[in-house]
Amino acid sequence: MREPDNITRVPSAFGVARSGPLTRELRLMPGAFGLGRLPEKAQPDATTRTVCGYCSTGCSLDVHLKGNAAIGLSPTVDYPVNLGMACPKGWEALSVLTAPDRATTPLLRAESGRMAPIGWEQAAETFAARMKGIQREHGAEALAFLSTGQMATEEMALLGALAKFGMGMRHGDGNTRQCMATAVVAYQEAFGFDAPPYTYEDFELSDVLVFVGSNVCIAHPIMWERVMRNPHPPQIVVVDPRATETAMAATQHLSVRPKSDLSLLYGVARLLLDRGWIRPEYIAEYTSGFDAFREFLNAFPLERVEAETGIAAAEIERLARTIYRGRRVSFWWTMGVNQSHQGVRTAQAIINLALMTGNIGRPGTGANSITGQCNAMGSRLFSNTTNLLGGRAFENEAHRREVADILDIDEGRIPRDKGWSYDRIMEGILAGKIRGLWVICTNPAHSWINQSQARDILERLEFLVVQDMYATTETAQMADLVLPAAGWGEKEGTFINSERRIGLHKKVAPAPGVALSDFAIFRLLAESWGCGEMFRKWQSPEAVFQLLSRLSAGRPCDFGGIEDYQMLDRSGGIQWPYRDATRDAGSQRRLFGDGRYYHADGKARFVFEETRAIPESPNTRYPFLLLTGRGSASQWHTQTRTAKSAVLQKLYPRDPYVEISPVDAAELGIERGQWVRVSSQRGSMQAKAVVLPTVQPKQVFVPMHYAPTNLLTDAVFDPYSRQPAYKACAVNLEVAD
Amino acid sequence: MSSLPIVNIAPISASGEAAGSAEEFSLVQMLLREQQDLSAVERFAREGATSAAPAAEKYYRALMPAAAPGPGQQYGFEVDLDRCSGCKACVTACHGLNGLDEGETWRDVGLLVGGTRSAPVMQHVTTACHHCVSPACMIACPVNAYEKDPQTGIVKHLDDQCFGCQYCTMACPYDVPKYHAGKGIVRKCDMCSTRLAADEAPACVQACPHQAISIQLVDVQQTVEDAEATNFLPAAPDPQITYPTTTYRTRRVFPRNMLPVDYFQVGPQHPHWPLVVMLVLTQLSVGAFAVGLVLEGAVTGSPAAPMRQLHGLTALVFGLVALAASTFHLGRPQYAYRAILGLRHSWMSREILAFGVFAGLACVYAAALVLLPPGASPMPTWLGGAVVAVGAVGVFGSVMIYATLGREFWSFPRTTLRFLLTAGLLGTATAWLSVVLFALAEPDPDAEQVLASAGRLLCPALILLASAKLLWEASLLRHLLSRSMTQLKRSAMLMTGELSNYTLARFATGLAGGVFVPAILLAKVQSAEGPLDSFGVAVLTAVLFAACLAGEILERYLFFAAVAAPRMPGGIR
Repeated sequence: MREPDNITRVPSAFGVARSGPLTRELRLMPGAFGLGRLPEKAQPDATTRTVCGYCSTGCSLDVHLKGNAAIGLSPTVDYPVNLGMACPKGWEALSVLTAPDRATTPLLRAESGRMAPIGWEQAAETFAARMKGIQREHGAEALAFLSTGQMATEEMALLGALAKFGMGMRHGDGNTRQCMATAVVAYQEAFGFDAPPYTYEDFELSDVLVFVGSNVCIAHPIMWERVMRNPHPPQIVVVDPRATETAMAATQHLSVRPKSDLSLLYGVARLLLDRGWIRPEYIAEYTSGFDAFREFLNAFPLERVEAETGIAAAEIERLARTIYRGRRVSFWWTMGVNQSHQGVRTAQAIINLALMTGNIGRPGTGANSITGQCNAMGSRLFSNTTNLLGGRAFENEAHRREVADILDIDEGRIPRDKGWSYDRIMEGILAGKIRGLWVICTNPAHSWINQSQARDILERLEFLVVQDMYATTETAQMADLVLPAAGWGEKEGTFINSERRIGLHKKVAPAPGVALSDFAIFRLLAESWGCGEMFRKWQSPEAVFQLLSRLSAGRPCDFGGIEDYQMLDRSGGIQWPYRDATRDAGSQRRLFGDGRYYHADGKARFVFEETRAIPESPNTRYPFLLLTGRGSASQWHTQTRTAKSAVLQKLYPRDPYVEISPVDAAELGIERGQWVRVSSQRGSMQAKAVVLPTVQPKQVFVPMHYAPTNLLTDAVFDPYSRQPAYKACAVNLEVAD
Repeated sequence: MSSLPIVNIAPISASGEAAGSAEEFSLVQMLLREQQDLSAVERFAREGATSAAPAAEKYYRALMPAAAPGPGQQYGFEVDLDRCSGCKACVTACHGLNGLDEGETWRDVGLLVGGTRSAPVMQHVTTACHHCVSPACMIACPVNAYEKDPQTGIVKHLDDQCFGCQYCTMACPYDVPKYHAGKGIVRKCDMCSTRLAADEAPACVQACPHQAISIQLVDVQQTVEDAEATNFLPAAPDPQITYPTTTYRTRRVFPRNMLPVDYFQVGPQHPHWPLVVMLVLTQLSVGAFAVGLVLEGAVTGSPAAPMRQLHGLTALVFGLVALAASTFHLGRPQYAYRAILGLRHSWMSREILAFGVFAGLACVYAAALVLLPPGASPMPTWLGGAVVAVGAVGVFGSVMIYATLGREFWSFPRTTLRFLLTAGLLGTATAWLSVVLFALAEPDPDAEQVLASAGRLLCPALILLASAKLLWEASLLRHLLSRSMTQLKRSAMLMTGELSNYTLARFATGLAGGVFVPAILLAKVQSAEGPLDSFGVAVLTAVLFAACLAGEILERYLFFAAVAAPRMPGGIR
């Protein structure tokens, strides 16, 4: 192909069209609003900031507007979270709104079994009539709702209040049970309140970062941005059975046996203790329960830890020394810890390490849970499911009275217990106790653990209502009534991100058909139920924000100093607590700088427990251990949204795939790219074999984004958080026929 | 149950208006109206339209060269692999900020894996156009729709100049130019040249959260020297083909077994049906003219002139159909006239010119055969020679189009042999078809004689040519035994794997049309004592011709579909 002579050829002017309609189409013109050059057709007449609606990082996006409608977006440059960057999901956030399978009208299942479009009046009447019918016949226990970490705090609060106080539903939980419940319980028990202590600046300030069960590179690319901007340069330790992207960037990767991280963490604590690499003065002043912990650690000599984790003693010692030598050590965990049969204790073992080495409350430190969904943190405080509004307890009479007073409702309408968690709601359906279920903005018929059982359970419902952006989600296809919801970008409200930052998202696109915001749907259903009177103050998201602000007063999450949405918009998001500008100044704030925790004695607690074996160990019939998790940065959960972008589709494998070690592939005669059958006691799936040395022998990895994955998983739960343990079950592997 | 204040209202239409009585108060209507109202966003402070300077400049300034390229320099992408985490934000930002159409992307991110169980290595690799020193796309382009900027070295595609032949998509070893079927043109990365000209960073550079992509000044001579060491990226195409200017940097040493994660996967390439038809029929036409000339020696007497007429017309018709088919390959056939602009560098221009002249001469030749009285002038014979000679130049052009792309399956000897044998085989088959048609049209003893003598000549020739071609094509399968994943092994794997139905059909039709039926005909011709069963011969000839033609079409389909195309590392597929 080489033409060595005259390689920088300039064609003759004759017959060469340098301009014309096709050229003009992509010609970049100087852009206003600090955006730089953009194609002419993409030039906005205004921009506005909005917080992304995928993950908990909480990036801000500048939406490019033409006549108040979005025509494009780019990441906000001066937002303290993302510093002008976004991941593929954020860049493509608008394109998924125009998918052809959007739910555009309410749908009711007709006698024939087919879904027929109906008007909103009929939908609301049907909802009320059917749900009330079930309630009359089977009692208040017979209804439940499943909410989400993907809606605005204001919407979650309205849903929680409407369902529990207005409609008298006893049970409600969210998909946050699948992602954050473990961190919630771990923090509550250790700190006295569910309070992730960090701010993202800590990623840049640490000299040692320890990631446990967290593939930040892929799951939270913009948090990884902050790590990459750490100038120190830090030691990065990754504890993960797989050699993930994050492990590739690590200075030390500990490829532990799955679910042996708790042993490792106790072993490291023991080493720190034995070597005197702890901060006795911090422990004495600010914590309680250390003596018992010291005693407990005797059971974790290095030999035991070595045997249980498969990590050489020298590597464990190296980790302990790294922590000891670090001046600002931060610990980070995500789903590898949370989705475990002993997740709460594992998270607390991480917290214990931070407490005993005094690595908390200072810049660049902390025991830090990286949240999953964009508003898991809002859900934790205001969904009114596990906790009463504002991180309160249903069981606490004083708390109930506070809430009743602020909301001006009869205290008797507030339940005296938290009701059932997600898994117990599913059990309740199975047992015939729950007969009507309202699913909002989540997709249990793909995401819930042990899918064949989960679907069997959902099929038993007398009345299943699904409220979603898309009429095609696995769950919506099972529904008796589908309520079409406006999505992110078509409504407004606030999210709370991983670092407790409250951010605003705005309405910048029209909803399709007669889809309504979840907020509007809740208002409509309140009227149809006949409890609209109770929610007269809940007229708009911003009015609810003011109510929530009052509900937060005096609580650790107090954000009473935030005046309104405009203030949030101006400030680039505001972290809780924010009581006023003097007490809570600064845009990068962390908790516990004063060593005061939220327990009555002001001290943090060491919480610990003997480790437990994996509930389902590999055996002769199912000799492999299945790990699940995020596949790529372009995929989100059950893919109801990310599968709708043509660009994102190009960035991840279309077919389900299973990562297999070259050792196992050779033994089983599995070729690269070949279809294999992965099966567990509960079900089986076909997946394409991807042979990677990054997976350990006798382990396989399947991303969670493909619907069949949860046919394999085992419905095991952390006993304290009731969070499902998605990441470890026994499977078999064979070439598919 | 309580009643709503909204009962008895007709279903709401998409516009939010009630179909029935609009007077009545309706909560639903109010909510729908609120939902469609986008004015709420106005209450927030707008970013000032006055701030013209790009806000992100503070982050990307360090990723841009301090000065414009000097003599002997050009711009090049530099990727710091230690910072590429595989998030793929660059792909989406390029799509979004450049206003690309749905699903259109100009960047890709691949994955390299290697190492051992105790030290596995995984490396994501972002890639776009390498703005090569010697851009294969530009050299290949028949319409001069590519420019390499003399100062910046940016290889720019001129969208309005392109007529959508897609030759550049085959010529680029990195799979960079992408065909946009909706617009009928190719589009590609231009390093955001207008942004660079205004000191703004390209979209991908702006958008990489980890600052892995930057623009650097590249020394052109250095690039050429570096290419000698072929140290570009594991399993990436040989940099000597085009001298790519992208630099991949890492502090790590890649393990020796580092390979793209999709390295062992083979997939069929685009078959380019119009090109399949065009190539096969041009070769048929040229071959038919050539065999016709040969046949002239064998056929003498009164049938010679009408025979020549018939055969010349047949060959011409196929040639014209071939050229018509080729325009179906163009995204914008109305600009087909531009095809010869690239004569100085593009084999496609040269091929198109040669076939253009071929078609013109062939028309004149056919006209001369029909219009001039037989034996009036020696011109047709002389002209026939010219037609064949120019046609041969055209076929040579066809060979060079593919032989210059550096794909082993399309190497010069392979492609030459393939195309020449097709010309010989189909030329012979067409000549036989002409003879039989002639014999059917004018059933007289002379024609019988021609049929017999031509049959004794053409049928063995067919058997010989077809056997040789099939054997040679089948010999490719020996590469299945190769231990390393060579290009030819990939082709053989495709032919026996995903494309095995095509392969089977190709050999079945090839054997039937090139060996079995000619053998039967030969037997008939040789054993005939009296007049031949002309109907039987006609049916057999129809089968022969159809099978030969189908066989060559399938062969050419495999030529395109089973080629192993070089590419940058891909992802998990």
